[in-house]
Amino acid sequence: MPLDSSIYTLSGLRLDGRRWNELRRLHAQMGTQAAADGSAYVEMGNTKIICTVDGPQEQRRTGMRDQGNEAKIEVELGLAGFSGVDRKRRARNDKRVQELQHTIATTFATTLFTHLYPHSTISIHLHVLSQDGSILAAALNAATLALIDAGIPMSDYIAACTVGSTAGMSEKEEESDPVLDVNGLEENELPFLTVGSTGDGDRVNCLVMETKCQVARLEGMLSVGLDGCRQIRGILDGVVRAHGRKLLQGKVS
Amino acid sequence: MTSLKRPHASTTPTTTLSSKTYLRTLKSGKVQKIVRELYLRQDIPCSSQLCSACLDLQPSGFHKKTAPFVLSPTPAGTKNYPQGHYLVPDTNAFLSAMDLFESEGVFQDVVVLQTVLEEVKNRSLPLYNRLIALTKNDGKRFYVFFNDFRLETFVQREAGETINDRNDRAVRQSCIWYAEHLQQAVSARKSARCPAVVMLSDDRDCLRKAKAEGVTCSTLEDYVFALPDADRLLDMVASSKENRVTKEGKAQLLYPDYLSMSAMLTGVKSGTLHQGNFNVSPYNYLEGTVHVPAFDRSLIIQGRENSNRAVSGDIVVVEVLPKDQWKAPSSKVIEEEDVGKNENPENEDGAAEGIVTEQERRALQEEVKRVHGRSTEGQAQPTAKVVGIIKRNWRQYVGHIDKDSVRSRAKESRAQQTVFLVPMDKKVPKIRVRTRQAASLLGQRVLVTIDSWDRESRYPVGHFIRSLGELETKGAETEALLLEWDVQYRPFPKTVLDCLPAEGHGWKVPASTDDPGWQGRRDLRDLLVCSIDPPGCVDIDDALHAKKLPNGNFEVGVHIADVSHFVKPGNAMDKEASLRGTTVYLVDKRIDMLPSLLGTDLCSLKPYVERYAFSVIWEVDSNADIVSSSFTKSVIRSREAFAYEAAQLRIDDQSQQDDLTQGMRHLMMLSKKLRAKRMAAGALNLASPEVRVETESETSDPVDVKTKQLLDTNQLVEEFMLLANISVAAKNYEAFPQVALLRRHAAPPKTNFEELSNQLKTKKGMELKTDSSRALADSLDACQDPANPFFNTLVRILATRCMMSAEYFCSGTQSYPEFRHYGLASEIYTHFTSPIRRYADLEAHRQLAAAIDYEPLDASLQSKSKLEGVCKNINVRHRNAQMAGRASVEYYVGQALKGRVLEEEGFVMRIFSNGFVVFVPRFGIEGLIRLREMSGEEGREPESVFNAEEYWLQIQGKEVERKVELFQKIKVRISDEAEEGTGKRKIRLQLV
Repeated sequence: MPLDSSIYTLSGLRLDGRRWNELRRLHAQMGTQAAADGSAYVEMGNTKIICTVDGPQEQRRTGMRDQGNEAKIEVELGLAGFSGVDRKRRARNDKRVQELQHTIATTFATTLFTHLYPHSTISIHLHVLSQDGSILAAALNAATLALIDAGIPMSDYIAACTVGSTAGMSEKEEESDPVLDVNGLEENELPFLTVGSTGDGDRVNCLVMETKCQVARLEGMLSVGLDGCRQIRGILDGVVRAHGRKLLQGKVS
Repeated sequence: MTSLKRPHASTTPTTTLSSKTYLRTLKSGKVQKIVRELYLRQDIPCSSQLCSACLDLQPSGFHKKTAPFVLSPTPAGTKNYPQGHYLVPDTNAFLSAMDLFESEGVFQDVVVLQTVLEEVKNRSLPLYNRLIALTKNDGKRFYVFFNDFRLETFVQREAGETINDRNDRAVRQSCIWYAEHLQQAVSARKSARCPAVVMLSDDRDCLRKAKAEGVTCSTLEDYVFALPDADRLLDMVASSKENRVTKEGKAQLLYPDYLSMSAMLTGVKSGTLHQGNFNVSPYNYLEGTVHVPAFDRSLIIQGRENSNRAVSGDIVVVEVLPKDQWKAPSSKVIEEEDVGKNENPENEDGAAEGIVTEQERRALQEEVKRVHGRSTEGQAQPTAKVVGIIKRNWRQYVGHIDKDSVRSRAKESRAQQTVFLVPMDKKVPKIRVRTRQAASLLGQRVLVTIDSWDRESRYPVGHFIRSLGELETKGAETEALLLEWDVQYRPFPKTVLDCLPAEGHGWKVPASTDDPGWQGRRDLRDLLVCSIDPPGCVDIDDALHAKKLPNGNFEVGVHIADVSHFVKPGNAMDKEASLRGTTVYLVDKRIDMLPSLLGTDLCSLKPYVERYAFSVIWEVDSNADIVSSSFTKSVIRSREAFAYEAAQLRIDDQSQQDDLTQGMRHLMMLSKKLRAKRMAAGALNLASPEVRVETESETSDPVDVKTKQLLDTNQLVEEFMLLANISVAAKNYEAFPQVALLRRHAAPPKTNFEELSNQLKTKKGMELKTDSSRALADSLDACQDPANPFFNTLVRILATRCMMSAEYFCSGTQSYPEFRHYGLASEIYTHFTSPIRRYADLEAHRQLAAAIDYEPLDASLQSKSKLEGVCKNINVRHRNAQMAGRASVEYYVGQALKGRVLEEEGFVMRIFSNGFVVFVPRFGIEGLIRLREMSGEEGREPESVFNAEEYWLQIQGKEVERKVELFQKIKVRISDEAEEGTGKRKIRLQLV
């Protein structure tokens, strides 16, 4: 039995040796798949996601209700069978996956300039290669990079991360710390939320919380989360700029 | 040919990111491979107050708090380390000598490495929890150093290296780092004294490597030897394997091996094995029972071999034996003290006698003969044997040293010898203890713990913790029974006392009604409230009032001390109270749940002063049916505190016509109606043998024993408390259907009553109907013997023992029909009326306060899992408190009878083939009379005939010839005698 997150109260250290306000190692690449219109690869710790974007292209299915003068955003998220600890096959219409897809689609609807592409579809394909917590946050970050790579106009980056709370682990309720960027183990033990924001962390575009937590703790968690988003935005921005520089130098086709 | 595997890319130790890969097996038998990231860092402090570098780089948490540094700048020195030293024990040191680390005054300034902590957790969860408690103890100065997260001390497991070797290497690496780091810190301060960093280990290989690497190290034993008072301390080390190794060669394996954990779990899952709690019969130490869900009746486990090293309380896995080996429950009394008297504790190999001694075999054989001789097979019950143990529930045991097992009694002898410790609890086997102070421990109450029970040892091996004092002294016996029932009796720590109101005894209800304390409170000071309690009661929980309303109905109020106003959820006082769970009442003292300032003064609803209360007020009609009810926080002023008798006199005295007395008469009238209604609904009137010990006020020496008297006023209070509890339970459940804290009493399964109903039928021709509580109540009423008025009470006492015990639970964990309280015949019930002495009531108060929107519900009460934890604890505490109380009465009854010889009436409660149990109602004692004691000759049993179907025993001795039947009224002579082997006083009953 390895130690669990109750050690946080002893040392202020989390299970993987991080402090409360530290992100995991974030590694990102753009333009990983030449065949797609846009693509990106993001690693947040051991969570690894590939994202490809196709479009904007003409709507395939006709006869359906046409949304008229706006592009439709389609999201497809696949959890690879080998991505988790146990090999698990998910059904096609898994409710959880559907909810994730819907969340991602509505989040990007707020930043993408969909009105520029009437009668067309932008499809985002996400492939989770390895799961270790913060799937939704990693998916949002990967999709942001892939959409930029595809050259789809948008108002701002969406940078996302998770925040947990050590409530219940600590001696006194009011002394619980928010912890940034939870990994898979922490996700199982702690209440946590996912927040995605644009700008300098002043606009929240996505906020998802599926676990129970005292309202009083929410404010602290959210402010730590927005701070995390700001850090991630900085990292993503660096990746985009480095990629752009290479493009300009003609090193990448 | 071996195949080589390329390590994971990120495992190169140069970066600050590493990973940890391990396999784990799930309960289902599935194997998972877990990969975890590991971020290595350099800001983990060494926590020595010598070091200033670490102080600067220590980061703070979200709340800007930093941990203070723990390790003293001037740690204590010993002979070997005169410059002072920090200890770094390895895992085995903690596993074998936790008691030593916990003892006061020694072992300070200890660095607990993360590697060690993790390993301790793997090996033993209780020890891990004790270690964590130590690190929180300020005086001990234990510091947990997270060596696996620090870059310099992180150690990567090498190919082919065992996990133990890696951990040992990690410990050594940390020692090296600490020594270097301290050296730097000391030279930075320009002081000369640099404490040594001493690694404690018993692993020879590790010690050798440490020496080679230049790590200061020592074995635990060598280290303790250099301390003053080494003899006492050395006894507290668990006898390690090392010491026993010498005999390994010829050691014979006495017990069968256990199955592996996975084999057990698969077996339990597939239904071929069963899991349950191992319980030893109080009358026969060789027989145990395990209740498993698959069988209605408990499985019997007979004999040492079948119980296979299980100790009462362990969670075991059993295998049911084939049907031809099934046995009837023993009808014989077998006590370890008698059978195993002459065993030699030094004799470890047991080759001469094997696992079962000759005497034990004989004792059991008669049993088998009897069972086989019988034609009717109906008596045989499923019998099983223990094949493995899921969880040991070993605790610390109180007992005394068996005088006969001590070899040299010379006081000054310091030779180490092995002695037997006979635990107070008869269900626990003798424990073999190695000690150097055997002679001085004779005649003392001592505390020991069990370390292990190996296959080659007939008895478990344990080690000595401390002595409580001389046998039979009041202090030692009281402490012994508190320890035995795990009652926390230490004085309240300062952190708890800090939570008390600053005004102390001067605290008053604020005079101005604008004070925040008055907010949401109703002013009920004008009501004529009074309290009725046992004489001498100082923690007054409840008070009552009643008055006639103009419309002919009555207004009745129950006012309960508002403890939740003073004890806020989550503070130190609340934590302590939730751990204690209940106040424990012993004959001569009371161990409080809350500090006495609250319990006996500020909360206590004392007369003539204003107090905060939580009131339940009903309007009831003259038939005691509730018209309406309301709950409110309030301020009351009690007009009088009555004792039961005084209240009874006041009600009966017709010359008293004041309003207060009238109110009490209304209460009395209504309570009788309530009681009648409750009885009609099927509430049980149970009995337990309750006696009261009268003590001299000064010395609290027992003077006399009296049975408790029940007055109408007792019932008056009881009825209204029940009513309040029921009303509150309904209200709390309505407000919080998932997390209301309730109390339930399950209907007993029919099989529980089988024996009793059979006994009644054959002996008295009476029938016990157990279909419902109503039927049971009626048939209990019918159990009357005109010649013997006590018979009915006796049956009620026996019936009570067949019942399930009531328990606290969280409403979300059961379905509504399961809420029922069988004994009270109420659909829903909780405890609300004694918050000073029960934690459950305090929680109910908080929930009710939230239900009436007085204050928001605390988070700890909204979580089902937390509440379940609380329930589990208070259930155990509640039972332990009852047991401790009973044990205390028993002890004092014994003391009161000291040196006296009395003849009293008794009743036969149970019959064995070699003795019978007699209950003496006058003193509430139950005692065994053995045939052996009746013959007049030493050690010889008189001839006897035993009929198990008709429950009689015919004794045909030389001098005595008589027949003893179940439920028979007999005269017994009560005397007390000091037991020869132990010097312990015991009550002895003799048939007259």
